[in-house]
Amino acid sequence: MKLHFKTLGLCVAAAALLAACSEPPAIAAKAAKRPDVAPYMGANDGFMTKGWTPGNQASWTESTDKRTQGQNEYSRVK
Amino acid sequence: MARMKFICDTERCIECNGCVTACKNENEVPWGVNRRRVVTVNDGIIGQEKSVSVACMHCSDAPCMAVCPVDCFYRTDEGVVLHDKDICIGCGYCSFACPFGAPQFLSKGAFGTRSKMDKCTFCSGGPEANGSVAEFEKYGRNRLAEGKLPLCAEMCSTKALIGGDSDIISGIFNQRVAIREKNGKYPGSKAFGWSTAYGGPDTPAPTPTPAAKIPGAK
Repeated sequence: MKLHFKTLGLCVAAAALLAACSEPPAIAAKAAKRPDVAPYMGANDGFMTKGWTPGNQASWTESTDKRTQGQNEYSRVK
Repeated sequence: MARMKFICDTERCIECNGCVTACKNENEVPWGVNRRRVVTVNDGIIGQEKSVSVACMHCSDAPCMAVCPVDCFYRTDEGVVLHDKDICIGCGYCSFACPFGAPQFLSKGAFGTRSKMDKCTFCSGGPEANGSVAEFEKYGRNRLAEGKLPLCAEMCSTKALIGGDSDIISGIFNQRVAIREKNGKYPGSKAFGWSTAYGGPDTPAPTPTPAAKIPGAK
């Protein structure tokens, strides 16, 4: 019985000591990766272009594709 | 789904550094950090001087992501490689891994201390809310969320630097190569222009300079 108490005491002491090695939950939460919001959701900062609907991925893709093609002079200047 | 990429056409780049200036201004990049730069080779040799605008290439299998010890990088659905500055510890591993020298660090203060890593975001901000002040202060403008493209590419005066969906921009480049070929420049360079970049099938492989001819080499 005495041995059991000694073992239990050692376990509690080890647990108390090792607890100092763990990461506080606040730090662990801060270091976690955060999900990014997709660009098609819009920026709502007053500088958005017109011609597409924020939240609609298809309209954003269509609008940016058109803008990308605008870099081609052969399609702009005939 | 779009896969955002940059292409810089060395036949058109005139080393004006407009892309560098536009990037710095749009994102308010601090002094000492250049997210984009223009590299010129064969300076002063007529017909052989070529310039290329270089920044993060948003690699499909990014080495910076592979080596980051704190795993602060992520790739968006649009194929843009971004990082979380709240996780970055500024160790610099990514700058050694990157073949393009894209990761930048602001050196200030005593004992060579470094800032957290900063790099081209393809003008798409970071993990903060789109278009927020916090996002702008940490990562710069989120032009993609505004329905725009990176400013460096959009303002390029010669359209040497183009950015956007990889299929579209490679199509634009493909068309240019075909027209050049038709006009007698780089005959036989074929469709995508790979022969222009890497040499055609008849181009002899470059001969390495013997070590004996390099001053100081052993």
